[in-house]
Amino acid sequence: MADYFEEMGWQPLAEGQAPNHYLHFARLLRDFNIFDGLSEKLPPPVSKKVLESIPTITLEQDGKQCTICLKEYCKGDTAKQLPCKHLFHNTCILPWLTKTNSCPLCRQEMETDDEDYEAFRKEKMRAKQRESDIENLHNSMFS
Amino acid sequence: MANIAAQRIKREFKEVIKSEEVAKCAIRVELLNDTFTELKGEIAGPPDTPYEGGTFVLEIKVPETYPFNPPKVRFVTKIWHPNISSVTGAICLDILKDQWAAAMTLRTVLLSLQALLSAAEPDDPQDAVVAKQYKENNEMFQITARHWTNVYAGGPNINKDCDDKIRRLADMGIEEHQARVALSSYDWELERATEQLFS
Repeated sequence: MADYFEEMGWQPLAEGQAPNHYLHFARLLRDFNIFDGLSEKLPPPVSKKVLESIPTITLEQDGKQCTICLKEYCKGDTAKQLPCKHLFHNTCILPWLTKTNSCPLCRQEMETDDEDYEAFRKEKMRAKQRESDIENLHNSMFS
Repeated sequence: MANIAAQRIKREFKEVIKSEEVAKCAIRVELLNDTFTELKGEIAGPPDTPYEGGTFVLEIKVPETYPFNPPKVRFVTKIWHPNISSVTGAICLDILKDQWAAAMTLRTVLLSLQALLSAAEPDDPQDAVVAKQYKENNEMFQITARHWTNVYAGGPNINKDCDDKIRRLADMGIEEHQARVALSSYDWELERATEQLFS
């Protein structure tokens, strides 16, 4: 089993270092769901690096629809292909990805430049991982 | 309005009109102006719910930034539901807020609202009084929601007991809707509703 600090994604205090009381207070507030109302806005935009690396492809056949503008693609049109393989017109997907970080169709998230959000996302993933670890442990003991 | 929003609403309009849900009379949209910014939506109450048989009218406002921002939707028809305000018709539904995605359409929004009528989320309420009744006295909730569907949405189930109690309060000079709200909020106990109205 990973050690406590590694599992929580924290650093032990170094010599001469004092605990960060603001951080403790923030965690306390979080544990009482103080921040829940704040999550009403969308996650932050995709990072510049990821945005630039999204490939543009040329379509080889007609048919299929861009799910943002609902127009059908024609042969020879160019489209952006997200990591989840979903296609969108360049002019349609850009405004979306400069607003938030997920595919409009399947919600697969991409990396952002927002440190706080990335920390929040990692924490969410760790919580999920912990949950499935506990579930596995439980199943291996009682089944 | 930005061109992309208007163009998209035009395309969606065709989609909704062609869709099979319209054929089944489950959902409907109607334009209210030429600029595609205001629409009227209609959803049928889903079967096996207290909303069955009712038709619920929605006000849909399309922002200039649509589809990158969600449409603003509100119930015009009064409804008794934990996630919809019984006073303003405001809706608490994640896809109309932080879970919106640009690939969603008026059709998917209306279908999601219909699904919300079948499966309420009392732990994320918009109307605290309704949500409390839903959790603590579900039978009374069902009766109240069915009665509201009958009165405001044209539902078929007349509840004589509810109507009688409202008439008793109306005879005392209370406006009908106000009487209905008070009785609904106090599990149709005439005494407590009267006390609240006259306090």
